[in-house]
Amino acid sequence: MLAARRLVLAHLWTAFVVFAAAAVLGAWQMWVRSPLAAPFSTPDNYYLSVTAHGAAMAYVLTTFFIMGFGYYVAETALERTLPSMRWAWLGFALAIFGTAMTVLTVLSGRASVLYTFYPPLTASPFFYVGLVLVVVGSWIWCVLMILAMAQWKRANPGRPVPLAMFATVSNAVMWLWTTAGVAVELLFIVIPASLGLTETVDVGLTRTLFSWTLHAIVYFWLIPAYIAFYTMAPQAAGGRLYSDSMGRLSFILFLVYSLPVGLHHLFMDPEHSTGFKFVQMSLTVLVTVPTLLTVFTITASMEIAGRMRGGTGLFGWIGALPWRRPMVLATGLAFFMLWFGGGGGLVNMSYGMNAMVHNTSWVTAHFHLIFGGTVVMMYFAIAYEIWPRLTGRATQAPQLQCAQLWLWAIGMMVMTVPWHWLGLEGQWRRVAHFDYADPAIASWGPWVDVSVAGGAILLASALLFIWNLARFHADQAAKLTPVPPQRYAVAVHPPDHVPAALNGFALWNVVVLVLMAVAYGFPLAQFFIEAPPQAIVHHVDRAG
Amino acid sequence: MEALDRAWRLWVGIILAGMVVTACVLGFVVVPLVQGGGPGFDAFTAICRAIGINLAPREAPRAAAPAQPASGVAWNSKTFGALAHGDKAAGAKFAQDTCIACHAPDGPPPDPSIPRLAGQSSFAIYKQLQDFKSSTRINEIMSGLAKAMTDTQIADVAAYYSSLARLDLDARHPAFAGPEIEALVERGDATRGVPPCASCHAATSGGPIETPTLTGQSPQYVAAALKDFAEGQRRNDIYGRMRGIAAKLTPAEMTLLGDYYTTPH
Repeated sequence: MLAARRLVLAHLWTAFVVFAAAAVLGAWQMWVRSPLAAPFSTPDNYYLSVTAHGAAMAYVLTTFFIMGFGYYVAETALERTLPSMRWAWLGFALAIFGTAMTVLTVLSGRASVLYTFYPPLTASPFFYVGLVLVVVGSWIWCVLMILAMAQWKRANPGRPVPLAMFATVSNAVMWLWTTAGVAVELLFIVIPASLGLTETVDVGLTRTLFSWTLHAIVYFWLIPAYIAFYTMAPQAAGGRLYSDSMGRLSFILFLVYSLPVGLHHLFMDPEHSTGFKFVQMSLTVLVTVPTLLTVFTITASMEIAGRMRGGTGLFGWIGALPWRRPMVLATGLAFFMLWFGGGGGLVNMSYGMNAMVHNTSWVTAHFHLIFGGTVVMMYFAIAYEIWPRLTGRATQAPQLQCAQLWLWAIGMMVMTVPWHWLGLEGQWRRVAHFDYADPAIASWGPWVDVSVAGGAILLASALLFIWNLARFHADQAAKLTPVPPQRYAVAVHPPDHVPAALNGFALWNVVVLVLMAVAYGFPLAQFFIEAPPQAIVHHVDRAG
Repeated sequence: MEALDRAWRLWVGIILAGMVVTACVLGFVVVPLVQGGGPGFDAFTAICRAIGINLAPREAPRAAAPAQPASGVAWNSKTFGALAHGDKAAGAKFAQDTCIACHAPDGPPPDPSIPRLAGQSSFAIYKQLQDFKSSTRINEIMSGLAKAMTDTQIADVAAYYSSLARLDLDARHPAFAGPEIEALVERGDATRGVPPCASCHAATSGGPIETPTLTGQSPQYVAAALKDFAEGQRRNDIYGRMRGIAAKLTPAEMTLLGDYYTTPH
């Protein structure tokens, strides 16, 4: 049994319980926006719910999952205990305390500013302080991950760090860079405003600082999914990883290219010049490189597995794969949805096309498809993969796990495809109520109804997921003795040694620093060279 | 291995520099030069604008005529501080002596041409009294009274009236005014460029801070205020927001909007 078993379970259960509650809110929100009469439907409730749903899914589910999974990988891939259990628990306690503070503030209706904040809207300070505590907890995790790798390298000089851990540390390093933007925004601008210490905020500056975080955070969420693609899926399919170096390179490229690209969230904002938007758009194009590398490498790995299982012909290997294994099925479904989500993303990042979809439902549909379709799908698969090792019990019903994954994929497609279409039709986002009696938008109604059905399927899947995991704890009969160790996929040519650049992050931190200086140097400096007009703080937690 | 590491550093540097230079040349030089011709910039100006450097003179152009602000109230730290220090008790005492004959602390005013202040936003009361005081809003009774008030008394009275029991900020059960008026309140009229009333006059809207609460006012008062704005008799709305909107409304709509915002007592 793992030494960090309780630590990992505490993190992952927190993540999934919050996820299930947020899924209920999400399904209700789809209902409210539809022509169908929904209970509790007021604008206040809607924005409260959107804030709670967004903060729970984007900050709580992800951060706790990534921390818990990181501790799991550190112990199983490095085959040594964590550098400090005490600090790991302290990080957990901080994050739990922060989550409770945030959730209670949101539920009290004093923080309906949506999870991306939107200054000069300003919530109760407890909302922001709670989120800062979650981030501080995750910083402890980052340091522990970096330390764990450093200690392993000292004990194993010259040997390549196992890919799963290398990727986890790349995520920890990226997260430290990523959170710098939002931390500065919250600590120096938003929290002082929420406390009433300042009466005005520079909206352009806060949006720019948030954009620093906003794209890389998506890759923070995504990297565990990619770790599963590279190190778990080929193993589950009974094959080998096509290339270990390709994996390292992909994770490095995510670190490098996910950061200096955040201005593509501000293409329609007036505070930045076209030149810097263009430069960041060019860098955004390069984010597709590690994604395409991964699609190639994992497809090749799966082909190896399929052919080893007797598949022949150009596509015969696909049918030969063990699709009844949750990890293999989830990888297939996640890849399918990644094509659609990635395609939508290419539209968003193109300066010209962005103008068409800006502030429409297209964007909401896009990030649900990427986040739900790829990220959360693989979180499910990882949970099913590691739960037997965390509980010492085997599943009795893999078919229920597969059914849950299928439901999730179907629900996600049924929800997001009409949602994309509505975006192209011009349906605006962040709106609590649509009057479908208005002939101008009456034709949207049926499409939204379909999305509601998708939301209901997703909710059913989320609840089935919790049920599936709970069964591990309840089912005494399926005890595993001994508990099988976690095995990560072996590469076709396991690396004997790798260049320092593929075994650490010193070089890449310098690269990130240079790129961030180019991409964000002047766009941030301009606010101090010539201070723009400030906006009056609008406190949503104080009645006007 | 060391040679390999050196090669990695070298090639990463070359690729990175190549990438950044290409993006910069395209973004800062090629695109502005190709597209800069349209607006008629010279090459240097187009490049500077692409970087974000504004070559235009920093001072805004000044008109020869002196500015005539719609209101003397600026929503800055000083104003917020004054309002935050408003003393309810002192305000109540002042109101007892001066205001309540017309602006009762409970129930409707004695005359429909007088606005109801109980539960009104403190920002709205503060601004209107200051405007009477500075003569940016004129009323034969209020102008004289407000001119005699100190800034502290204005803040106190604003704090007092805003602390009284208020009616629901949203017209959740409006008096019947017809579907067209409800549509005007909720959706506005894009063909005339009239925004929805509810985009500012609702509890959760993000309207300007001085936006008053309309629910509970008499229909005559709301209709008369709209008429005054439309005719330019009243001009203390910042940026002429209400003058612009009211001028596009018909007299019948003004009357019906007054009905809409009346909450039956």
